[in-house]
Amino acid sequence: MADLLAPRRPAGARHVGAVYTRAIVAQIRSITEYPADFWVMASAGVMWNVLQFAFLTVLFATVPDVAGWRYHEMLMLSGLFTVASGSTALLCDGVWSTGQMVLKGEIDYRITRPAPVVVQVATTHIGMQGFGEVAFGLVMLAYGWIGAGLGLAPVPIGLLAIACAVTIECALVTLFCAVNFWIKGPMSNFAFMLIDLQSNAMVLPLGLFPIGVRLLTMFVIPVAFVNFVPVAVLTGHLSAAWLVGTPLAALACVLAALGVYRLGLRSYDSSGH
Amino acid sequence: MARVDLAFATVTFKRKIAYKTTWLFSILFGGWSLLAGLAVWSQIIGDGELGGYDWSAMKAYLVIGFLTATLAWAGSDWEMANRILDGHVAIDLTKPVDFQRARAAEYIGGMTASVPAAILGTALAALAFRPAPPVSALAALLTGISVLFIFPLAFCISYLATMTCFITQRFLGVQWAKDSLVAFFSGMMVPIALMPVWLQGVAWALPFVHFTTTPASIYLGRVDTAGALGLIAAQAAWAAGLWFIARLIWARLVKKVTIHGG
Repeated sequence: MADLLAPRRPAGARHVGAVYTRAIVAQIRSITEYPADFWVMASAGVMWNVLQFAFLTVLFATVPDVAGWRYHEMLMLSGLFTVASGSTALLCDGVWSTGQMVLKGEIDYRITRPAPVVVQVATTHIGMQGFGEVAFGLVMLAYGWIGAGLGLAPVPIGLLAIACAVTIECALVTLFCAVNFWIKGPMSNFAFMLIDLQSNAMVLPLGLFPIGVRLLTMFVIPVAFVNFVPVAVLTGHLSAAWLVGTPLAALACVLAALGVYRLGLRSYDSSGH
Repeated sequence: MARVDLAFATVTFKRKIAYKTTWLFSILFGGWSLLAGLAVWSQIIGDGELGGYDWSAMKAYLVIGFLTATLAWAGSDWEMANRILDGHVAIDLTKPVDFQRARAAEYIGGMTASVPAAILGTALAALAFRPAPPVSALAALLTGISVLFIFPLAFCISYLATMTCFITQRFLGVQWAKDSLVAFFSGMMVPIALMPVWLQGVAWALPFVHFTTTPASIYLGRVDTAGALGLIAAQAAWAAGLWFIARLIWARLVKKVTIHGG
C-alpha cells in the first residue's frame, strides 16, 4: 500500500531537515505550554541516572575494580550510554509509537504527506525525561573523565564519541521499533529489549561476558560502539584503531534503520485488513 | 473476591496472553539482567564472600531477583496510565465500579499471566546455575508467601505512579523513574547489605525493599522465623497503607478531570 501512495521522487536532505526541524520546534513549543509536565519528566529522567550513579558508588565501595575497570571509567561508560539513550527521547521519541500507529492504521495519512514517514513518526513526541537524562549523563561523563585523569587533549575524540553514540542509538531504536510492522503489538518489545540489554550489560566492561555476547554486541547489534568501544579507547583498554569502527558503525546503523523502516512501510497494509 | 473483580482480572489475563511475543519477552527482559548480574558478581565474589553472600548464596539471591522482577514488571501500568491520559477515566467515573478496585483486579490479572513465564524462567535458571537451596522447608514456604505479597505491592506502587498522568502528558519517563526506584531500593541492582548503613536505613524505610530483599533474606535464612514473619507483616502493612494513600491522592487528583461538552 505504501508503495502506491509514496511520492515517486525521494525527498531532498534539505526538505527532510526542514520538516524535521519544524516538527521538533512545534513539539518544543507545546512543551513550554506545560511547565509542570516538563519538570516532572525531566526529574524522572534524572532519577534513573542518580540511582545508576549510586549503584556504581556502592559497588566500588566494596571492590577496587571490576574486570580491570575502575570507578571513574565505569562512570564514563554509564554516562555516555545515558547521553545516547536520553538523546533518542529528545530527537526521535515518536518512533516508539510505531507499533501503536501500525495497529490503529495511523500510518495511512502520514504516507500521503510529502515528507518521509519515519521523520513524521519520529517527531510526534519529545520524551521530556531526555532533558534530565542527557544533563545528568553529561555530568557523569565529565566527572568520570576528570576522575580518570584524561585531560583536555582527547576532548575531540570525546565529542566524536558522543555524536556517534547518539546516531547509533537513534538508528537502532528506530530499527527495532520498525519490527512492529511485521510483529504486531502495541508495545515496541524489541526496542525495549535493546534498551534493557544496554542498561544491564553495556554499562559494564564487555570482558565480563562470554565471547558470544562480545561478538553480538560488536558486530551484529553494534551497541558496544555506543559507549564501550569509545570509552575503552579513551581509557587505554583498547587500541586507538578501534575508534575507526565507531563512525562506521554509526553509518551502518543509519542505513540499516532507514532500510528496515522502508521495508516495513512496504509490508504495511493499514488496519483491519 | 467478587465476580466483577474476577471478570476484570480475566479480561486482562486474556489480553496479556493474546500478545504471545510480549508474554515471551517478559522472560527475556529479566534474563539479560540475571546473566549480567551473574557475570558481575562471579567476578567480584570469586571464591570469597561479600556482605555475607558467598557465590552460591549470591546465585540464589540473583535467581530470586529474576523471579521477583519478572512479576514486578508484568503489570499493566500502561493500560492504567492510558485510561487517564486519553480521558477514558471520565467514562470510568460513570460506571458503578470502584476505579481503584477495578484497576487492581486488572493489574493482578495481568501479573498472573506472567506467572508461568516466571516459574519456567526460574526453574531453568535454577537448573543451569545451581543456586543455594532454601535454608529450611519453612523458609521456602514463607518465601512463597512473601513473593505473593509482591502482587498487591506492585499494584499500589504502579497505581500511585500512574496518578502522575493527571498532571503530565507522557507516562514513559515516570514509569522508568518508578522502575529505577524499585530496582535500586528492592536490592535487584545491588544487595541492600552492601550499601552504606544510612542508605540501608533509607531502603528499609521504603516499601520497595520487600520486592527482592525480603523474600531473598527469608529464603537464605538471613532472618529467623520470627524475623521472617515480621517482614511478611511489614509487607502486608505496606500494601494496606499504600492502598489507602492511593485513595486519598485519587480523591484530590480526580478533580482535575475535565469532561468537555458536558
